[in-house]
Amino acid sequence: MKPTKFDYVSPSTVEAVIEALVASNGDGKLLAGGQSLLPLLNFRMARPSVLIDLNRIEGLSYIKDRGDRIAIGALTRHRDIELSPLIASKLPVMSAAMRHVAHLAIRNRGTIGGSLSHADPAAELPMLAVFYDATVLIRGPHGLRMVAAEEFFVDALTSCLKPDEIVVEVEFPVLDHGGWAFEEIARRFGDFALASIALSVRRTGGGLEGARIAVMGVADTPVRLKQAERELVALPLDEQAPELCSEIIASKVSPNDDLHASGEYRMHLLKHLSRRALRTALASTDQTA
Amino acid sequence: MNKDHRTDLSDVLRPKNVGAAMKRTEDPRLLTGFGEYTADRKPDQALHMAFLRSAQSHARIARVDTSAALEAPGVVAVLTAEGIAGDFKPVIPFSRMANYYATPILPLASGKVRHVGEAIAAVIATSRYLAEDALELIEVDYERLQPVAHAEAAVTEDAALLHEEAGTNVLVAREFKQGNVAADLAAAAVRVGGRFEMTRKAALAMEPRSYSAEYDKRRDALTLYTSSNIPGIVRDAISESLSLPGHRLRVVAPDVGGSFGSKGSLYPEELLICIAARKLRRSIKWTADRLEDVSSSSQAFAEIVDAEMGFDEHGIATSLQADVIGDVGAFSIYPWTCGLEPVQVVSFLPGPYKIRSYRGAVRGVATCKPPTGPYRGVGRPISTFVCERLMDMGARALKIDPLEIRRRNLVRAEEFPYRIASGIIWDRTGFIDCLEAAAEAAGYDQLRKQQSEVRKRGRLFGIGIASYAELTGIGSRIAVAPGMPINTGSETAKITIDSTGGITAAFGVASHGQGLETTLAQIIADDLGACFEDIRVIQGDSDEVPMSTGTYASRSAVLGGGAAKHASEILKGKIKRVASHLLEANADDLEVSQGKVAVLGTDRTVSFKQIAKAVYSDMKTLPVDAREELTASYTYDPINGTTAAATHIAAVEVDPATCFVKIHKFVVAEDCGRIINPMIVDGQVHGGVAQGIGAALFEELIYDDDGQLLSASLVDYVIPSAPEVPIMEVVHVESESAVSGGFRGMGEGGTIGAPAAIANAIADALSPLDIDVSVLPMTPERIFRLIQNAKHRAKEKS
Repeated sequence: MKPTKFDYVSPSTVEAVIEALVASNGDGKLLAGGQSLLPLLNFRMARPSVLIDLNRIEGLSYIKDRGDRIAIGALTRHRDIELSPLIASKLPVMSAAMRHVAHLAIRNRGTIGGSLSHADPAAELPMLAVFYDATVLIRGPHGLRMVAAEEFFVDALTSCLKPDEIVVEVEFPVLDHGGWAFEEIARRFGDFALASIALSVRRTGGGLEGARIAVMGVADTPVRLKQAERELVALPLDEQAPELCSEIIASKVSPNDDLHASGEYRMHLLKHLSRRALRTALASTDQTA
Repeated sequence: MNKDHRTDLSDVLRPKNVGAAMKRTEDPRLLTGFGEYTADRKPDQALHMAFLRSAQSHARIARVDTSAALEAPGVVAVLTAEGIAGDFKPVIPFSRMANYYATPILPLASGKVRHVGEAIAAVIATSRYLAEDALELIEVDYERLQPVAHAEAAVTEDAALLHEEAGTNVLVAREFKQGNVAADLAAAAVRVGGRFEMTRKAALAMEPRSYSAEYDKRRDALTLYTSSNIPGIVRDAISESLSLPGHRLRVVAPDVGGSFGSKGSLYPEELLICIAARKLRRSIKWTADRLEDVSSSSQAFAEIVDAEMGFDEHGIATSLQADVIGDVGAFSIYPWTCGLEPVQVVSFLPGPYKIRSYRGAVRGVATCKPPTGPYRGVGRPISTFVCERLMDMGARALKIDPLEIRRRNLVRAEEFPYRIASGIIWDRTGFIDCLEAAAEAAGYDQLRKQQSEVRKRGRLFGIGIASYAELTGIGSRIAVAPGMPINTGSETAKITIDSTGGITAAFGVASHGQGLETTLAQIIADDLGACFEDIRVIQGDSDEVPMSTGTYASRSAVLGGGAAKHASEILKGKIKRVASHLLEANADDLEVSQGKVAVLGTDRTVSFKQIAKAVYSDMKTLPVDAREELTASYTYDPINGTTAAATHIAAVEVDPATCFVKIHKFVVAEDCGRIINPMIVDGQVHGGVAQGIGAALFEELIYDDDGQLLSASLVDYVIPSAPEVPIMEVVHVESESAVSGGFRGMGEGGTIGAPAAIANAIADALSPLDIDVSVLPMTPERIFRLIQNAKHRAKEKS
């Protein structure tokens, strides 16, 4: 289990990275934290002609407060996001989700740019990007472009990145949520999720005026359930609400069978998490109210 | 003749080292990165080997073209079955068993492939990278044959044959019978039964298999460094296969990072690397990557057991019958044969219980998967799972508490030695003591009260008990594997005091995590009267003792320990004779301890160093005929061996929302005889139970209908990690055995009891829903299905 032969470069600027990507003719691979790429290389499932190491680039690891938006540099490690007080206060759903991202050793190396680019449908950061409606900043030979998270993820392990492009930043809007919840079930702590949901609500009087729901591991990309959000807002907030919420969410997804769980069991778990998530979210609005 | 005798436990003069929780001698080097594993070997100008492995599960090899690979950079040789045909004799896992067909161990697939992952060709190159590059240039044309993926389908008439010469896919068949089962079952007050299964499992040692064949041009000799727990057996087999006598073939198992049985057979790669090193007159290295290790090392379980047990109205089990089908994979393993795992299931099925009539039939069936082989507990994890489920099902049917039904059926102290219905003889062991000790430590009655409380609130809380017995440290009268022609019943210790006073003790055992360097030194320190720190234990090296096998089958403390005791005694006699000259005292008046000999009641002493000097260096002090070389060798054979037993109790809760199982409590009460090192015993139990939890809840090698392995990585093959393993309580019932030192083997037990205890606890938790547990591992998916089915059943009823 050794990789095929590749060249290695470690440029110190984003411009040089793009030059190297262009020079590689679509055959280059970017190395950030390496947590997904290195196994792919060793299995020879990825066979790049050149490995472009991003770790010498300065200024791509940051978490910046831009008022109604939080900007995270592509090379920011998961662990830095997990421990950031700014994230905890402005993006609490993300903060809560980060401890579910694999294991500490992996969080110490893995980066947000790497996770998004890898586009694993069962990974937390892509799901959070969709949940928050984040904007992904991409640099290529023709300059910058911005892509909404929902458009960024195209398919399982496939993003809209072109072979000569690199993610440089992800910008998350600060949401005005009253209550929120992040729920996840994995076989063992740190494993890929069997089911996971991020949910937030904004209360008004006796009902809801807004809701946001994203799920992962139930489709080829993480998905935001906008129709379910609208249906949830229309629900009366009585004791039936968590059950109805779970029914609404369940009606919008159809998880597949895989080695670890049947679609039916995943659905069972998702419904359980949906009930719990709504209860938690409503309880946290009560506290803040 | 062995002069074994039982030491009275009331003997308050406990020796100093045996029984003490001494820190392991091995740990400083292993924990600071100074261990030397096979992959750490750096032979001069070594070449590296990589294997082209079959992507097909069952196919004829029409053509293998290696010409492009041979031209690739760094490639020295490309080997195929054809190219090495004249270089070895096939190794046959022979057995005297009737109805057994021995498949030979072939270094590379010849003619056809029989499982995905079977090696077809080997590239030998200047680096592993270049070797793997060249693998991609080898072309293989396969003619696909019908896959034989399931044992039950493999015995049907239209199934393809994996080994045409055998004329059947049933490689081994046996039946054990005692009494009239049919009559006893017919007369039983209650009959319980079911179809039980433990699916295929990987041993998954932390260190994958690794070999370094080091060629010595000067002597045309070979040293094989191997991550094996049977270096002695490997030496003898390769010596025979390559016609290379032992003085030109040395096999060393250096530090070995676990085996759990998966490094306890001779492997094709192990044979091939020796063939290649000799052919090329070069040193060659190979270490399996995780994928190779999971898909080519011997695997575990894969058995389906149809079983039924009959009870009288008092809850006494009277009769038991079982039909076992073992999915043994594509080949027999050397030396244990493919009968090892499945045949043990029927030999041990009656367990520690007095069941008067028994019929156990087993078939080991070839399928296109890697072979099954020894795995910690061999046969007993599933025999215990089945027997203990049946006990609980009987208890439930008769409304007897599971603890009480075991009290009524276990062999009691006054009944030993007891021959169970399958023919195995249990010697005196604390069966009942373990049961009662476990119940007390678990707070069994309190747990039952707690259960009835929480059940009222709808919680699925269950308690599971599993009692078992195993044969350990078995001597020459019993074969480790049925009908096997090699001797696994003796073990040699050779203890030497050199001219500096240093003590070296050489054994044929091969510790791969058991801490034998520590425990054997503890025994020698006591019996020789030496300081623990002054003793170096050498093991796992075929050059050190004339004949050895290794460490397996919970044998090394009993056999190695017994040999150590006897050799120590002989050497102590020599020491005393020399000391009596030096101290001018009668040998009977001398006491040996802490590396010194003292005249009782005086302050006159002489150290081992002074004694060594007098014997070897100082030619004036002793008369010539008193200069006895300070060495002693003893080969110990416990003839029958000894029993070890335990009771495990688990308390679990099933979360109906997630279908996850949480283990609230886990208690083990075990009898391993006199304990040499309680810390090591605890560690063995903890590790064994952790693996048992893996077998009960997590680990499963999943093959599809084409024989493709779907769970080949550690993302998909799920093992328990630290959060999934609960704190355990371990109680030691130290009833001394009849073998030398009073020891019993205890390396495997944890894995035997835990799956059954957890299965019973889950079944107990789910009993309000009327759910039976008959398949392990009980994954969340399986529990989800069982609960869903139970709901459907309940709906249909109403």
